[in-house]
Amino acid sequence: MDSASILQHLVNGAMLGMMYALVAVGFTLFFGVLDVIKFSHGDVLMLGAFTALSAALGLSAAGIEQPLLQLALMLVAGIALTGLVGALVGRYLVLPLKSAPALNTLLITLMFGTALREAVRVFYPQGSNPKPFPRLLPDDALQLGALSLRADSLLLLALGALVIIATHWLIGRTKLGLAIRAVAQDEETAKIMGINYTKIVLITFALGSALAALAGIINGLYYNEINFSMGLNLGVIGFAAAIVGGLGNFYGAIIGGFLFAALQTIGAVAIPFGSSYKDVFAFAVVIALMAWKPTGLIAEQEAQRV
Amino acid sequence: MNALLHCRVLTRRFGGVTALDGLDLSLPRGEILGLIGPNGSGKTTFFNVLTGIYAPSSGHIEFDGRDISACTPQQIYRAGIARTFQRSRLNLELSIFENLMIGNHKRLNSSLWFNLMQRGALAAEVGAAYTEARELMRTFDAPLADRLDEPMAGFTMIDRRRVEVCRALISRPKLLLLDEPSAGMTHEETRALMDDILQARERIADLTIIIVEHEMGVIERITDRCVVLNFGQKIAEGKYREVAQDAKVQEAYLGVESIHEG
Amino acid sequence: MTLLALAAAAIAAYAAVLLHAEDQRLIGALIVLGFGTAAAAAKFGLLSRLGQAGRAHPRLAPLLAVAALIALILVLREDHFALLMIGTTLLYCVACWGLNLQFGRAGVVNFAGAAFFGTGAYTTAVLAAHTALPHWLIVLLAGAVAALLGSLLILPILRTRGHYAALITIAFGILFKTFLEVNDALGGPQGLKLPGFTLFGWNLNDNITVGEQELSFYVAYIALALVLAIFAFLLVRRLEHSWIGLNFDAVRMDELAATTFGINVARWKITAFSIGNFLAGLAGSVQATMLGFIAPNNFTLSDSLIMISIILLGGLGSFWGVPLGAAIVLILPEKLQVIQEYRFLLFALLVVAVLLLRPQGLVPRAQRSFTDRIR
Repeated sequence: MDSASILQHLVNGAMLGMMYALVAVGFTLFFGVLDVIKFSHGDVLMLGAFTALSAALGLSAAGIEQPLLQLALMLVAGIALTGLVGALVGRYLVLPLKSAPALNTLLITLMFGTALREAVRVFYPQGSNPKPFPRLLPDDALQLGALSLRADSLLLLALGALVIIATHWLIGRTKLGLAIRAVAQDEETAKIMGINYTKIVLITFALGSALAALAGIINGLYYNEINFSMGLNLGVIGFAAAIVGGLGNFYGAIIGGFLFAALQTIGAVAIPFGSSYKDVFAFAVVIALMAWKPTGLIAEQEAQRV
Repeated sequence: MNALLHCRVLTRRFGGVTALDGLDLSLPRGEILGLIGPNGSGKTTFFNVLTGIYAPSSGHIEFDGRDISACTPQQIYRAGIARTFQRSRLNLELSIFENLMIGNHKRLNSSLWFNLMQRGALAAEVGAAYTEARELMRTFDAPLADRLDEPMAGFTMIDRRRVEVCRALISRPKLLLLDEPSAGMTHEETRALMDDILQARERIADLTIIIVEHEMGVIERITDRCVVLNFGQKIAEGKYREVAQDAKVQEAYLGVESIHEG
Repeated sequence: MTLLALAAAAIAAYAAVLLHAEDQRLIGALIVLGFGTAAAAAKFGLLSRLGQAGRAHPRLAPLLAVAALIALILVLREDHFALLMIGTTLLYCVACWGLNLQFGRAGVVNFAGAAFFGTGAYTTAVLAAHTALPHWLIVLLAGAVAALLGSLLILPILRTRGHYAALITIAFGILFKTFLEVNDALGGPQGLKLPGFTLFGWNLNDNITVGEQELSFYVAYIALALVLAIFAFLLVRRLEHSWIGLNFDAVRMDELAATTFGINVARWKITAFSIGNFLAGLAGSVQATMLGFIAPNNFTLSDSLIMISIILLGGLGSFWGVPLGAAIVLILPEKLQVIQEYRFLLFALLVVAVLLLRPQGLVPRAQRSFTDRIR
């Protein structure tokens, strides 16, 4: 294999890792504040991508063709809508089931995700076909000696990294982040400290969902194609990444995301017929990793109360 | 006569915390032992280690002439140790009878063939178990014995506690562990429950009991001997009246709660 | 008793009219009538009286159901499409009783029901094409292979709980379908064709002639499905009214308490998981022979979720909830073409509503009555 294709694999893997990490951070946030798993996460990602696509189509129709402006407005639209949907899911589906068995939350969000997926499939014009996603970033090749790299890949990687750093800053350094961490630590104490519990939970849901939307839009910009079921794979692998990193652990989620991307990329290269079996391989890795380290490589604190 | 239970330098650590620290304890058959100490002194941890939920970090447990230190909870239950829990762990959707039968697991035939194909024999086994459950329940509380088929959720705290004790007793254990049986009940209810337990003990030969309790009236009334724990260590041992006078014991309780309360 | 018999007759008559109807407006009216009658019956206490009667005569209700079903099949004997729907509903009942055993009883989540169903179907297709094994044996083997495949998954499931186990089965469900699509030996996305089935020298694809009457060949497959459904019903029923059913409950409700009383949590989870997957595999096998053709698209995650919807709609752990849920989820969209395209969306939303408003489902699980039911 020549160095050019190695570089290509590296960029592909990094991009995939970035998307998984963004999704995994969302799972980790939800689990942190509420100890719940929101299985609609992947489909919220898809919704973000489709919202951005609709915004792009709408802007083009309105004659606004400037790529950067278009991109900015797409991001705003995608993030705003998914953030809203995330908060609504938290308010009307997750919080009401707080005292019900944990499985019910999982089921209700799983079913809601299915509803989102199906709604896009049947209501979006020709929703069951893959949709071309506009190419808005410059795709000039940058020459690095003998190697060439597309500019948009680098920009997307930078965008993803920036978002992760910003989220980390938000959680770690702001008042809002402090409230989120307080709720994650202990709901009752947080309430006594005067933190508006419901508000913080909903903000966290909106935040996590917005990250998913970003991952969806990055996905669209990178592959220039989206489809209604894109959230399934990204959601499941993103969740697995969050688990491997120890649910509730911010860094763990990011490491988990890149770990899965690395395994998948290596698998695609190293295994015969790897490319057609790449999804099969990815899910087999999910199952194998869960069998080997069921509660993550970085353990989630779990004390059995007796 | 040899002891039923014999613990030697039993230790259990959680990370940096030593919840149980070199405990030596010997228990003759038929004794009622009170296990007391401030909150977090290692009483419930001792039960959890004894029943195999946590493996001991070091030390040995010998029960009925057999080393059970490395046994699973299943094996320990089969060897004859049964317990109640501090927070009730009954299945509220299930009936009294079903809850009791969960406690009776080792005496029931769980094989697939028996349960699916030998329905006549199964019916006989169910019938016999039902009669037995009713009799045991009757020694506790006669009205409950006629309500075996009602779901647990409809019963009061004291009735639930009674069922929980019966669930532990129905398998005829040699050692019964009671984890704060009075929690959440009034004095009157506690007294009634203790009467029931003493009565049941008279009917089951050689039943040995360890009881964890904060209610010192209960301890004084029903125990033969007490062991006081603090920070996972045994700080005193003897009749309740003796240990209550012990300076170390009073110090351990000082500022936590008065030992003469209740 | 008469009440039960009347109810069975009424349901059979209603089903016959509904399944035979073609006019969309008539179908819509019939569906509204059906739900309206059920709601009215519930309001005036008729349903609870039916439930009491059912409990008073535990053996009668299943017999009546079988009788009503046979009557229904005879009435619709020439209507291929209606019969196919009945057969499919029966087979989904078998699979969902199996899944309910895992999920509703032992508390082992399985979001890959369609994958185990599909395992049965593909095993049947491959064995029927490449071996000379008798077909009845193939059906059994299909169930066994599904159970065996499940035992590969059981290790990670046992080592985890709740949402982790859910993730594993979801990953397996997606893996299964993706694998079938890329594997050319199993027909790829186009799937596989199955030969006609022969049971004890009788080709099930031949139309049946009884005297002057010609019956649809589907009648033979439905008979097979019915036999399977009766088997599954008896199995699940007997498990419920036995110590094993109680062990499942103990494991689902409180693993720690169960362990303390010597109940081997892993053993009962494995038992429930294997029996459930065995039933799903059997059902998938017969479904494949009945359709004569299978493809990866029949066994997607959405199909697994449809099975979960049937269970949740009917009521977790409930017996009669399964046929009711299956009838609503499978037959409604087939008859009412307006909703056909939207069925996944519709049922997903319906389950969301059920979980919020009536988590015990339409037919809540009845309390086990140990002493009168065993014999």
